Parts: sequence; structure tokens; C-alpha cells
Amino acid sequence: MISSKYLLTISIWLPILAALFCLSAKKYSIRNIVAYLTGVILAACSIGMLLMGPFDYQPEGLLGISWNMIITVADFALLAFILFIGIKQRHLLISMLAIVQAVLLLYFDFVLGGGHVEIEPAFVIDNLAIIMALIINIVGSLICIYGVKYIAEHEEHHPLTRSRQPRFMFWLIIFLGAMNGIVFSNNLYWMFFFWEVTTFCSFQLIGHNLTDEAIRNACRALWMNSVGGVAFAGALVLLLKYGSGDFLSMRFLLSQAGTPEIAGILLLAVALMVFAGMTKSAQLPFQSWLLGAMVAPTPVSALLHSSTMVKAGVYVILRLAPVYAGTYLSDMVAVAGGFTFLVTSILAISQSNAKRVLAYSTIANLGLIIACAGINTPVAISAAIVLIIFHAVSKGLLFLCTGFVEHNIGSRDIEDMEGLADRMPITNVIYTVGIISMFLPPFGMLVGKWAAIEAAGELPLVAFMMVIASAVTALFWIKWLGRMQQGVPGAVRKTEPMAAQYKISLGGLAVGAVLLGLFIVPLVADIVSPAVKNYYANSGLEAATGTITAVGNGVFMVWPLFALIIVVMVAAGLMYKPDRIKLVPVYMCGENSGGLSSTNYITTGETTTDLSLSNYYFTGIVNEFSWNRLVNSLAILMIILLMGVSIL
Amino acid sequence: MNQLIIALLVIIIAPVLGGLLSGVDRVLTARMQGRVGPPVLQPFYDVFKLLGKEPIAFNQRQIMWALGYLALMIASLLIFCLGGDLLIIVFTMAFAAVSFILGGFSVKSPYSHIGSQRELLQMLAYEPVLILLAIGVYMQTGSFMVGNLFKQSTPLLVSMPLILIALIIILTIKMRKSPFDLSTSHHGHQELIKGITTEYSGPYLALIEVTHWYELILVLGLVAMFWLQPIWVGILLALVAFFIELVIDNICARLTWDWMLKVTWSSGIILCLINLGIIYVQGKGGM
Repeated sequence: MISSKYLLTISIWLPILAALFCLSAKKYSIRNIVAYLTGVILAACSIGMLLMGPFDYQPEGLLGISWNMIITVADFALLAFILFIGIKQRHLLISMLAIVQAVLLLYFDFVLGGGHVEIEPAFVIDNLAIIMALIINIVGSLICIYGVKYIAEHEEHHPLTRSRQPRFMFWLIIFLGAMNGIVFSNNLYWMFFFWEVTTFCSFQLIGHNLTDEAIRNACRALWMNSVGGVAFAGALVLLLKYGSGDFLSMRFLLSQAGTPEIAGILLLAVALMVFAGMTKSAQLPFQSWLLGAMVAPTPVSALLHSSTMVKAGVYVILRLAPVYAGTYLSDMVAVAGGFTFLVTSILAISQSNAKRVLAYSTIANLGLIIACAGINTPVAISAAIVLIIFHAVSKGLLFLCTGFVEHNIGSRDIEDMEGLADRMPITNVIYTVGIISMFLPPFGMLVGKWAAIEAAGELPLVAFMMVIASAVTALFWIKWLGRMQQGVPGAVRKTEPMAAQYKISLGGLAVGAVLLGLFIVPLVADIVSPAVKNYYANSGLEAATGTITAVGNGVFMVWPLFALIIVVMVAAGLMYKPDRIKLVPVYMCGENSGGLSSTNYITTGETTTDLSLSNYYFTGIVNEFSWNRLVNSLAILMIILLMGVSIL
Repeated sequence: MNQLIIALLVIIIAPVLGGLLSGVDRVLTARMQGRVGPPVLQPFYDVFKLLGKEPIAFNQRQIMWALGYLALMIASLLIFCLGGDLLIIVFTMAFAAVSFILGGFSVKSPYSHIGSQRELLQMLAYEPVLILLAIGVYMQTGSFMVGNLFKQSTPLLVSMPLILIALIIILTIKMRKSPFDLSTSHHGHQELIKGITTEYSGPYLALIEVTHWYELILVLGLVAMFWLQPIWVGILLALVAFFIELVIDNICARLTWDWMLKVTWSSGIILCLINLGIIYVQGKGGM
């Protein structure tokens, strides 16, 4: 029987060692093996944790030096390095924010003595942390496996004198370790360290291509996340100065939920951490760093959007939800989340760049998750967790698909994906699964809607924003899917070849999305509900054979709908007999010219021209550039209110 | 067992009723336009004739989405008739509409492409009202279950009159009536070929016609839901709504999609919100 503490140690240290190994491995085949092995071991560790259940862990020091000391040194080293980057890139803001963080930390460590506060235990692994670990280590590992192959192809497209593949894999894999650190840490000082590491990793990955745009966007990600870093460091100082050393323990903080202790300055500290989470989750007005992050190779986007980085933000907000339950802060969090959900969903319909659509949709979904945390009822919290799980799998899948398509057709524009169903049928099926699982029943994203209704009773404004946003969501997904369906009559379907890494990662995530949908009942009953019940009276959702019931509200039947979908697919297969069904050219008012598969037609000017179609994008009404100023101002106002209501 | 019988009855009776209603629709419309019109059973003759035609299709997915439209619409109607969750009904209906739209998108055709784009906009127009309707039912009764409504002593109409008006506005979209018959229209003179169903023919077009019958029964059922005790009042209410739609259809021309969005989002959603606000205030006062 392996002790749980080894699983934890492995899940933080293995990525670090594997990353270093990749950095020194010049050979593709070695990096490939390392990615596979790391992925398998990490996934096994997280499943092991699930089987063994929650536990605490207090690590011994390393070679007689306390971990607090090591982390303090590493923290300052990291900040010094960020300062150096700021100076090198002549980016004043980055340097200033690094200095502010360093000053706050110096004050925390040496004036308040925070560097010597021992938190027992340093790691608390509860049900929520286990769920996050499963996401990080399974979805994240699949993305790393994909990444090995992708980045090799990427360099074929953009030749370099000296390969940057080892470096790329280094940052990709080490990211997983830092994320594991964040979700397992009970000691907030340690969590802050891992938090900064993820910021730094994302900077390195976004800037990977070293183009001007890549460096500019990487710098933007760095300064925006440094704003969050300053807020987090500020929260540490406030907790220690106005609370006590105990408040640096997440478990203690949670145990104080609902007591008069959590008010005034201490609630402000919580609000600062929530704010830090919002910067990391790219909520308005910080959305531009995540949108800019798409200049990076696609595995980076997949990782940032699905299992790491942005999920760290919502994790912290969700984790703290019991602490701010019942305060005005909670209401403001719901409003801010709902606002982001609404605005970014609308902005997504004006985009034709697939990665940008996905990015806006990520920000929107994170907004929805944050709104659920703010609504703060058991159903809403359950909904938030289910959304985190489903979003990680589906969004990871969609990004990886987009990367694969881009390497095949040389474009990531949705308009160029016309007829993908004939050109790349397997990818089309995977895309369809991914997109449908994002917003339609019988998949789990629907539970978010229940949370919206919960909000209707207390926060009508939030419910309203959620209703409108979810209606808009359908618009941008379906018009994308529609373009891929459009084929000419008699088109020859040709199955596309796929490398093994792609098969494993795309196939794994697609199957995962379907299985999660199929087994949402046990998922809710055995995994999500325990995590909610740790901090709330009940889980809000009751799962029984084949149905999920929101307590007293309604019933969601899963399997009949899945069965129906399968019946439809089989029936369509049986009904379509290519040799018995007549093929005719598309109807063009009798002006066709050319054969069966041609969409040429004769115009009124007696000339022949080819039909070209495209989607509506409503850029006249929905223009991100003209919207940005207003939307960002509103978002800043909300954040000021968010801080304000916590002091009152 | 009981539920199985209800389910079977619904699957068989709903299209018969729906077909008859659309026959009545055609006769009444003709009379309003000063014509005699076809026999009441004409829709059935049409569908049987379509079923006997040569199958023409472009690819497998075109058939799959048409079947999906039918199957998911039947599923939503079943959930409704078995007293299921209103929210799930709304989303299953949305999935059905998505199937229909993707069916239109399955072929590179200018007419079905425009039809699909417009159907998508129509969905955007009616979806918020349907969800707000579900929220209203929940706020009023504390449950989403349609079955639960039978236990209510006072009908929904008393507490949600404005939401009913909003529902009638979007019923125009759902029944594909002017001024909102953008994606595909019954009036030949204002139609871009046949919009979203341009590329469907023969048995597959018959499938879509039958689905429209199921859909008609379901949306009229949503209206009837406003007065379930005794149920004949609800049915009468639905028939009145049906007649109102026919009148609106015949006195309006098709309008543009942005006008549709403005009307449904402004008047429709605002009516719902005012109504929800009243329920909210009353709920607070009652406690």
C-alpha cells in the first residue's frame, strides 16, 4: 500500500524532474517517452488520491533546511528574475509590480515575521483538491503528450537554427507541478509561491515564438498577472497583520466562515485573493492577456485554457466561497462573474478566428463559474465544480482539435473550415462532440443553468445576465459547427491520417467528454457532492439511478437522451445508402454551370462565378474595439465595488 | 407501465392533432385571404405523397440532422407530457432546433445557408423568453416539474399574464408565421426559395413536416400550461392563441431579422422581467 503522501510528493516533484530531463534531452524520441511516462505516472497519482481519499501532509525540511526558508529564497529569486525581465524588455510596469511584490514580501517576512510562521499541515488534500488534481494531471498530461508532436511539427513550419523544443517541453511540464502545488497547499504563503510560478511559466510559454507580437503579449500576461500577484501578497500581509499566523492556513480561514472574525480588513484580504483569482482567470478587464496568449503554439493555449492557469483562479475563488458566503462581497462576485459571462459571450459572436472564439468562450465560462461561486448556494457550488470539470475536458479538446486542423489546412479561421466534415471526417466528429458538450443536453454544462435559476430568487440581475449569455452562446457555437458541415454534393470523404500522440490526446479527451456525460450521475454523487458537503449543509444536487435532481427543483435524465442520440446516428447510417440515394447538384435557381460537385453559377451578367458563403459576424453592432473602453470601465467599477463592499 | 402508455399515445396522437391543426390553419388562412383553400386533411396527403417520392440527399449528415430534429422534438414533447422538468424541455427543444439548423447547413447551398443563419437568429430571439418562462414557473411554484403544476390551485395565468403575452410573441417565431417567418415561410411570394429546407425533398422533407406538427403541439402545450385546472380551459387558451397567430400572420408581412430581435428582446424580455419582478415582490410580501 503506497502512502498518500508519496503520491503528493510525486505529483509536485515528478513534473520538475521530468521538465529538467526534457530540457537536457536533445532527441525528440526521448522527450516523447518522458512525456508519455510522466503523463501515465501523474494520472495514476491523481487516480490514486481519488481512491485513497482526503489526507493531510506535512513535509520534512530538505537537508535540514526548512521548506519555509527554501520557498522564501525561491520567491525572491523569482521576483528578481521578473524584475530583470522588466528591465530587459524596458517594461516599466512589470518592473514596478515586481518591486511592489518584493516590498510586500519583505514586509511580510521580516517585519511581520511571516517567513517563520509554521502552518500545520502545509498540504491539505480535500475532495475539491482531488478533483482539481484529476483535471490537472489527466487533461494536462494528455496536452503535454500532444505537445511533443505538435511542437516538432511547429518547428518544421518555422525552422530555427537552434531547436527550442526542449525548452518548450520544460515549461509545459513544469506547469503541471506548479498547479499541483497550488491546489494542494494549505499554507497560503506556499500557495503564493506556486501562484507566481504559474504566472512565470505562462510568460515563458506565451513568448515562445520570440516574435515581436509574442513578446508583447507575453509581457502583457506577465504584468496583468503581476497585478494579481500584488493583490495576493497584499492579502498575505493583511491576514498576518490584522489576523494572526493561523489565518495563513486555508483550513483555518475556512473554519472561520460565518464568524464575526471575517469582516472589515480580513474580508478585504479575502476580496484581494478573489481579485487575484480574477486576474488569473482573465476576467474583465483583464481579458486581453488570455486573448493575446493565443499567439503561442496551440498546446499552450490548450493548457492555459483547460487544466491550468485560468483554473487556478477559479479554484481559489471557489475554495474561498464558504468564507465570504452571506456577505455583500459574495453578491458582487456573482455580479462581476455574470457580467463577464454576458459580455464575452456576445463578443465571441463577432470572431471568425477559431482560437479567439475559444478564448472568449473560456473567459465566459470562467465568468459563469465565478458567478456560481458568488451565488454561493449548494446547488451553485455543485454547478461550479461540474462546470470546471466539463469545461476542462471540452475546451482542452477543442483547442487541440484547432491546432491539428491548423497544421493540416494552414488556417485557424472558421471560414476556412468549410466542408471539414468531408475533408477531415474524424476531426469533424471530435469537434462536434466538443462543441455539443459545451452547451447542450445531455452534457453537464447544463447544470450551470440550474445555478442561474437559484440566483433568480436572490440576485435577479445575475440570473438575467446568465439567461441572455447562454442564449448567445448557442449562436457562435452553431454557426461554427455549421460551416464545418457544409459540403458539396458528391464530395469524396477522405479519412485524415493522425499521429499516435494526436490519436491518444484527441481520442482520450473526446471519449472522456462522452463518458463524463454518460456517467454524470455517479460523478455528481461520488466526487462532486462530497466536495460540496465539506463546507455546505448539503450538496444541492441529488444523483440517483439515471437522474440528477436539484433539491426540490427539477430532474435531469441523462441516459434516455444519450440512447436517443445513438438511435438517431444508427438510423441515419442505415437510411443513407449512397448507391440507392440519388445525388443532384445544389439548387441555384436553375443557373448552375459545371457538374454535380460544382457550385458555379451563371450570373445576370452572363459570366460564371463560384458560390462563396460565409457566416454573419455582426461586426457592425458587436465591435470589440469600440466596446472595450465601456466594458472595461464598467468592470473596473465593479472591482472597486467588490473591494468597497468587503470593507463596509 | 402507465407512463409507457401515455408515451405511446403521445407519439401517435400528437402528429395527428398537429396535422389536423395545420390543415385548419390552411383553410382559415385561405378564408382570410378570400380563397376556398384545400381540404382539412391536405397536410396528410402532402406528407404521404412526399414519403413516396424518390429519396434525394447530399450526404449522411443531412439525414442524420433531420432525424435528430424529429427524435429530439418527440423527446421534448414526451418529457412535457410526462410532467418532466421544464428547463430540460427547453434545452431539448433547443437541441432539436440546433439539429434542424445543422441540417440546413449540411449542404453548400445559398438558400439553405441563409435559412439556417436566420433560424439561428430566431433561436436567439425566443430562447431567453423560454428560459425566463421556466424561471417564472419555478419562482411561482418552487419547482420546474410540469407535473407539479397540476397540483396548483390557482392557474399560472393569474400570476404570469405578461409572460403569456411574451410567449405568444415568440409563438409567432415557433410556428413560422409572419412577421417572423424568416428562416422558412408558408407564404410563397415573400420566400427565398424555401429557406432552410430548400435542399430537403421527398421522405426527408416529410420527416421535417411531421416534426413541425410535434413542435406545434408542444408550443401550444406550453400555452395550455397556463391553465391546467380544469384542463379544457387551457386547451381553449391554446386554441385562442393559435387563432391569434393566424390573424397576425395574415395581417403582417415578413420583416427583417434585426427588427425581430428588437421586438422579442425588448418587449418580450421586458414583459417577462416585469412579470418576474411582480412575482418576486409578492413572494417577499407573502413571507
